[in-house]
Amino acid sequence: MKIIKGLLIIGLLSNMLLKLVPAFAAENNLTAEKIIAKSRLAFYYAGNDMRIKILMELINKDGRKRIRELTMLRKDYEESGNQKYFMYFHKPADVKGTTFMVYKYPGRDDDRWLFIPAINLVKRIAANDKYSSFVGSDFTYEDISGRKPTEDTHTLLREEKLNGKDCFVIESIPREASVYTKRISWIDKKTYLPLKEEFYDKQNELYRVFEALEIKDIDGFPTITGRVMRNVKTGHRTDVTFQDVQYNLGIEDNIFSERYLRRPPLKWIR
Amino acid sequence: MLHKLTNVVTRFPKTTISLVLIATIFFALQFPKIKIDTDPENMLEQNQPDRVFYQDMKKEFDIHDLLVVGIVDGQGIFNPDTLRRIARVTDDILKIKGVIIEDVVSLRTSDNVTSENGTLVVKRFMEEVPQSPKAIEKLKNAVYGNSFFVDKIVSKDGKATSIYIPISKKAESYRISEEIERILKKELSPEQKYYLAGLPVAEDTFGHEMFVQMGITAPLAGFFIMLLLLLLFRKGVFLIPPMMDALLAIIWAMGLLIGLRFPVHIMSSMIPIFLMPIALLDDIHILSDFFDRYPSIKDKRKTIIATMKDLYRPMFFTSITSAVGFASLAMADIPPIRVFGLFVAFGIMAAWFFSHTVVPAIIMLMNERKLAVFLERRQQKRSFLDRMLKSLGNFAFAKSKVILIGASIILAVGIIGIKQIHINDNPVKWFKPKHKIRIADKVMNKFFGGTYMAYLVVKGNKEDAIKEPAVMSYINKLENHLENLKIVGKTSSIADIVKRINYVLHNENKSFDSVPKKRDEIGQYLFLFSMIGDPNDLDNFIDYGAQKANIWVQMKGGDNIQMRRVEESTYDFIKKNPLPKGITVRWSGLTYINKVWQNLMVFGMLKAILGSFFIVFLLMVFEFRSIRLAIVSMLPLSFAIISSYGLIGFLGKDYDMPIAVCSSLSLGMAIDFAIHFLQRLRAGYKKYNNAEAINAYMFQEPARAISRNAIVITFGFLPLLGATLTPYVTVGAFFAILMIFSFLTTLVLLPAIMRLWGKALFAKEVSG
Repeated sequence: MKIIKGLLIIGLLSNMLLKLVPAFAAENNLTAEKIIAKSRLAFYYAGNDMRIKILMELINKDGRKRIRELTMLRKDYEESGNQKYFMYFHKPADVKGTTFMVYKYPGRDDDRWLFIPAINLVKRIAANDKYSSFVGSDFTYEDISGRKPTEDTHTLLREEKLNGKDCFVIESIPREASVYTKRISWIDKKTYLPLKEEFYDKQNELYRVFEALEIKDIDGFPTITGRVMRNVKTGHRTDVTFQDVQYNLGIEDNIFSERYLRRPPLKWIR
Repeated sequence: MLHKLTNVVTRFPKTTISLVLIATIFFALQFPKIKIDTDPENMLEQNQPDRVFYQDMKKEFDIHDLLVVGIVDGQGIFNPDTLRRIARVTDDILKIKGVIIEDVVSLRTSDNVTSENGTLVVKRFMEEVPQSPKAIEKLKNAVYGNSFFVDKIVSKDGKATSIYIPISKKAESYRISEEIERILKKELSPEQKYYLAGLPVAEDTFGHEMFVQMGITAPLAGFFIMLLLLLLFRKGVFLIPPMMDALLAIIWAMGLLIGLRFPVHIMSSMIPIFLMPIALLDDIHILSDFFDRYPSIKDKRKTIIATMKDLYRPMFFTSITSAVGFASLAMADIPPIRVFGLFVAFGIMAAWFFSHTVVPAIIMLMNERKLAVFLERRQQKRSFLDRMLKSLGNFAFAKSKVILIGASIILAVGIIGIKQIHINDNPVKWFKPKHKIRIADKVMNKFFGGTYMAYLVVKGNKEDAIKEPAVMSYINKLENHLENLKIVGKTSSIADIVKRINYVLHNENKSFDSVPKKRDEIGQYLFLFSMIGDPNDLDNFIDYGAQKANIWVQMKGGDNIQMRRVEESTYDFIKKNPLPKGITVRWSGLTYINKVWQNLMVFGMLKAILGSFFIVFLLMVFEFRSIRLAIVSMLPLSFAIISSYGLIGFLGKDYDMPIAVCSSLSLGMAIDFAIHFLQRLRAGYKKYNNAEAINAYMFQEPARAISRNAIVITFGFLPLLGATLTPYVTVGAFFAILMIFSFLTTLVLLPAIMRLWGKALFAKEVSG
């Protein structure tokens, strides 16, 4: 009996110690909230503007593919604040010329406009960006343009190495009911980019996993140029490659307008 | 050889019984390995083309097993309280492990696409529970303004809503449905009724009921038969040999089946019930004969040897004909029926083996003194049965011509009846009408578009073929045609989605509620749809390469006849409106699969019955060494079968799976009486020369044994009428009818024939 009790106490103590370590780390350096906020800046707000060509492969569980190819322009208006996005779709062939524009406001729902060339119509779209899919991929709009850090409560779980890189491991739990009930992020201590994220669903089961596959330094900005989002429950996944990434091009503000939706700015989209 | 066996068995009764029991333990040890199979798809071979196609299309269109919850509120569901409850129920259901969250279709989880002030709005119907009358009115308008969801998640009258719950593993459906039921009980008020439907629920319930049938109905039938035997033999100890025989035969047959890793299907779950009465038949003959002989021989062993000697041939032939009848089911294209037929055949031959080993051995162990006293006293008495049989014999003899004419009339009427038979089945109707599954089925089909699913797969010859306007509008036209059929409650397809987007993009202008005329438009609308929903929203309706589309056809009935009519009507439509170039269509879905195996079964059974008729006839030729006698021996069963099926035709009872199965084995059963009768008759012709004397002799012991058997089988199957699954009920009722008909033909028609032509038929015996 005594031995068992002794073991129990040791177990409890070591458990407490383990919990204390990250707490110390957090106090000495950064709180979980700060880490997430910093990460968000590195991930979604690098540079003042940005231009990329995105290649998406939507792959179902049988390995069949759908292709999305688009050029994306982004312009930031304030650090971690308002942003504008402009997208031009090259592929699939039957949607070539479709354009899409998003005004992102951290405080409220986005404004979105879609131009449908076949009927020469610009339509405003109001849809929930928390769960609606980005062009049929496993990414939601929120994944593409970010989520406000204050929408979750964050806890630093531990610090560990992932693929040889030192990471903060942070658990984020939504304050209000959301599509996911828990997110765990591995955030690179050096770049503050998320290297991996796990999303848990309403059944508290892992359903989506994000992974950064390739990180390049572009104009001094560490950029995830290869990434994948897997839905482990459906077997569906989306592979994304960034090509021709350029920062601080001085993209004009008037590009982000209905006029350019209809007549895409060739200079930028090529 | 059998004679030697009897000698050995009666000399070493204890050893015989011990050896058989040891073998039985081996079979009994297989029981814990039991696997249940309730998947209706298994009615078809693994590689049957329609089944393969169904499997492939389910994968391609990501179709999961579906549980459906229906909630009915007599006051209507559109009030804050009920809607709140519905929301809570849905939220909790999403939390159940195994539920595919993003595919749940309901008021709470489904997106509505509308146009508001020029903006395309995508919103859950009920993201928040509406409180004010205005908000409720808005929700109502939203739902009823989107025809895709009317009759699907809400009923037209606003009294019912349903939640479609796809699950990832069918094996977990039982646990999930239990959890759903717990949620419904907790959240709903008592006035709100809920119904749980969907194939997985039906299958689980069916599996459960099957165990109940095996665990309760079969033993009940056994108990009933014991009572009947007690009435017939008047002494408890005589029940041991036949009951042992039946029990051992069941253990051997089921043990072998389970041991060989065959799953127990609805058909094979009936094996014990079939085997029990059949296994007893030979033993009743042995005991009857033994009783009659004992008082004159007064020695157990000698009596048994004498009894067995006369019975070797008829017992062998009655057993082998029954076994052939069942084994003929092996010719059917339906695996569970093949397994059933072969293992019943095995059980019958096992029972025949026990009749030659265990049964004589048990009789040997009976107390000789008590036996003598009982049997001697018994001989003095003339029972009610004896008196009945005597007058029946007199009647058959005196009115032979009338009987023949009457029989011909009944036969003609029977054939007319057979022509009225409807070939039809519906596995949901395997539950009795009062069963909760049937009630749920009825209610859900009353309120919604139909619970019976069929799919019409449209296939093009290249990628993106479905996006062609000609194809898309053809799908739309085909849907309209199908929806005009009374039995079809609702159809859904990719064309509906494209139409909806077109309508909404044009500010809900009615003239755009149609399929666009341009290829680009369709492509871009589908792209738009992928920007506002889940990545797998379209999967159910279009494959990944847009080469195939799937039209969901919800039917309000799942009878094979109804499915066939929908199918025929589709082909009719296609004939009048030729398919676009390169496009083919093919039916699938469970309702269709059911129709396929039913078709296979009807023709399979016909093949089986003709095959076994021929084999039994050959056996009779061999047995009687006379073609004419063989023909006569086939008369009672032909008569019995035609009359029984004629009756089914007149009653309007569908020719379904159980009836079809009964047909081929009824043959093997019905011939037994004729074999015994004619064997005894032949012996009679050797003994007596006068037709009347022979007739009188026949209506003593031979008729007694036949009657006992008829009584045991007829009444022994009766407990099945109380079963909760209709196939058991059908089988019970059908066998009772069949036995009565073959009993009457054997004891009325055969004697009448014999009076008129007996001398000619038994010329050899008469002269010798």
